[in-house]
Amino acid sequence: MAGEIIQGANEESHGAARAGDAHAHGLVFTPPIDIYETDEGLVLHADLPGVSVDSLELQVQDNKLTLFGQVEPSVGANAEVLHQEYQVGNFLRSFILSDDVDHGRISAKLNNGVLKVFLPKPPKTEPRRIEVDGD
Amino acid sequence: MPVFRWGQNWDAFHDLEREVDRLLSSVNFTFQGIRLGRQYPAVNLYEQDEEFLLTAELPGIRTEDLELTIAGGILTIKGKRTDPDDVPEERFRRHERFRGNWQRSLSLPERVQEDKLSAQFNNGILKIRLPKAEELRTRQIPVVEGNE
Repeated sequence: MAGEIIQGANEESHGAARAGDAHAHGLVFTPPIDIYETDEGLVLHADLPGVSVDSLELQVQDNKLTLFGQVEPSVGANAEVLHQEYQVGNFLRSFILSDDVDHGRISAKLNNGVLKVFLPKPPKTEPRRIEVDGD
Repeated sequence: MPVFRWGQNWDAFHDLEREVDRLLSSVNFTFQGIRLGRQYPAVNLYEQDEEFLLTAELPGIRTEDLELTIAGGILTIKGKRTDPDDVPEERFRRHERFRGNWQRSLSLPERVQEDKLSAQFNNGILKIRLPKAEELRTRQIPVVEGNE
């Protein structure tokens, strides 16, 4: 089934974000994502407002894709909060990739606080005819 | 046998509560971008020295799709988010990110110099600088030595 190619499975960061727990490195949130399918593979978009190319870590280890974005506060430390609707924190989320993703060709772009990850399908292997020799 | 059966009713209520908790815990409430039940976008307001700073998380908004107006102490920000472009709904496996038109009007806490407003947009964070009106600024009052 197509829906099994990528599975969001970030046990650690989900827990942290749901509770809004203060982490050792400050708050950690689970960013909202979109995943859609194209003919070439899957495309993942994640909202990471405040994350720059330099503060983003994206890694694939074994079959796990992890994104971690560090957010620098956009106001100085002496700014006094008058009204707060969102908290500033880092972003963490990870996914389990299936074999239908060509791990070696994963690429990513970050623009205006949105990360786009391209997860291409492995190249199709052409059927190979095997000659059978008789004795 | 108790005449008044509050105790048992209470237990039943707790069972229901536990059941609801169990159901809710399986729902993913981690959509930080949507902040269920809140207006979009979420904004913060700060006071720093001689200005107010308003910040909003607007990832994926293009500068040309962003409109900012101020009149009579009401600041209005509006825009739209269209990405991912032209992807039919059936192609989505996950759809958690906000999409569409949005608008928010915010009344500013005090008088600001509306003509001196400036805004920056960086990495999906909008930051609006609202310099305080002259009458709100802290003024140094020179004290002179009196000779009377």
